[in-house]
Amino acid sequence: MIGGGAIMGQYYPVLSPVHSMDPRAKIIIAVVFMVVLFIGNNFWAFLVMGAFAALAIYLSRVPIRLLVRGLRPVLFILLFTLVLHLFLTPGPVIFQIGPAKATWAGLVQGLFVGLRLVILIMFTSLLTLTTSPIELTDGLEDILKPFARLGVPAHELAMMMTIALRFIPTLLEEAERIMKAQMARGADFESGNIVKRAKSLVPLLVPLFVSAFRRADDLAMAMEARGYRGGEGRTRMREFHLALRDYLAFVYLGVVTALVIYVRIKFGPVITRPL
Amino acid sequence: MRDEKLRILVEGALMVAVAFALSFVKVFHLPQGGSVTLGSMIPILLFSARRGTGAGIMAGTVYGILQFIVEPYFVHPAQLILDYPLAFGLLGLAGLFGEDILKGTLLGVFGRFVSHFISGVIFFAEYAEGNVYAYSAAYQASYLVPEFIISVLVLRVGLYNLVKKSNI
Repeated sequence: MIGGGAIMGQYYPVLSPVHSMDPRAKIIIAVVFMVVLFIGNNFWAFLVMGAFAALAIYLSRVPIRLLVRGLRPVLFILLFTLVLHLFLTPGPVIFQIGPAKATWAGLVQGLFVGLRLVILIMFTSLLTLTTSPIELTDGLEDILKPFARLGVPAHELAMMMTIALRFIPTLLEEAERIMKAQMARGADFESGNIVKRAKSLVPLLVPLFVSAFRRADDLAMAMEARGYRGGEGRTRMREFHLALRDYLAFVYLGVVTALVIYVRIKFGPVITRPL
Repeated sequence: MRDEKLRILVEGALMVAVAFALSFVKVFHLPQGGSVTLGSMIPILLFSARRGTGAGIMAGTVYGILQFIVEPYFVHPAQLILDYPLAFGLLGLAGLFGEDILKGTLLGVFGRFVSHFISGVIFFAEYAEGNVYAYSAAYQASYLVPEFIISVLVLRVGLYNLVKKSNI
C-alpha cells in the first residue's frame, strides 16, 4: 500500500544507537553539521567531516544502499557541478575540448564540492531514515517552542503535521475508491488536453473534499469533547529525555566543529568558490 | 460552543492530507516525471480562500515540511528553506483575495514561483552569467503554469461552492 510509504516517509526501522537518540538532538546535530560542512574548505576538514558522517552511518545500521538511493535525484546536479568546476576554474590545463579547458584546480575543486554535496545529502537522509515522521514532528515542536513567544505557532504546526500524517493513508484510500467508482460510471481520468483533464478531476475532487471537510468537522468536535484546548499545559504520552548518547553525540559534534574551524584557519582554502 | 480555531486547524490538517493523497494518485504522467504533482496545490489554495491568509500559510508550511520529510531533495541550506516551507507557505497568499479564486490563485502560485525561482538563481548563479534568471524562470514556469491552469479551472468550475464557509 502506498499509504504506508507516506506515513512512514523514508523511516528504516531497526534498533540502533542513532535510532534511539532523542529526535531533538538529532535535528539540532543535523542543522549544525550542515553549517559545519560549509565552513570546511580543505582536505583535512573533509577528512574530519567524512569521518563523522561515516561514524554516524555505521552506528545507525542503515544499509548503505538506502543512503546511496537518496543521491539518485541529485545525480544530475552532482555531475553538473563537477563538470562546471572542472572547466571554469583557471589553472594548469589537463585537456581541452574546443574553447573549454579542464584544469587540475577545477578537478580538485569539483571533487570537493561534489563530496560536500554527497555528505550533506547522506547526512540529511540519515535523519529521516532513523527518525519516524511522528518523532520528527514532536522534536520539531519542542525545538520551535521557545519561539512561540515571537509568534511561531509551534504547537499548532506540530498538531497539523500529526493529524495530516494520520489521515494521509485514509484519504489516499478514499481517493482511490472514488476514482474507481467514477471510472465505473464512465469517468475518464487519463486522456485529453489540459482543460479536459482539469474538468475530469472535478468528479474526483468534489466528493473527496466534501468527505475531508466532514471528517475535519467530526474530528474537531471529538477533540473538543475530550477537552482539547491547544498546546498550553498539554502533556505527551512519551516525553523526550536527553540520554548519555545524546550528550556524547553533542561532544563529538563539538570536537568536529572545533577541528574543522582549526584546519580552516591553519591550512587555508582548497575550495575557493562556495557550492 | 464550537471552537472555531480548532476547527480551522483540523480542517487545515485534513487539507494537507488531501494534498498528499492527490500527489500520490498519479492522474497525470508528465515526460520529465519527478516532482510534478498536478492538482496537489488545490487543497491548500481552497483552504486559503476559505479560511484566510494566515491559516493558508500555516497549512502550506506544514505541507512543505512534510513533503521534505517524505521525499527530501536537498542541495543547499538556503534551497531547503526556499523550496519547502517557504514556497508552499506562500501559496497561502491565495487567501488575500477571499472568494476571488482567479486573483487569489494567481498570487499564491506566483508566491510559490518566486520562492522556487530565487532558490534556482542562488544555486546556479555561481556558474552561469546572465541567463541564470531566464533558466530558473523557465524551469519553474514549466510545471507551475500547467498547475496554475488546472488549479484555477478546477477551483472555479468544480469547487467554487466549497470556498464559502457556510457550505459543509
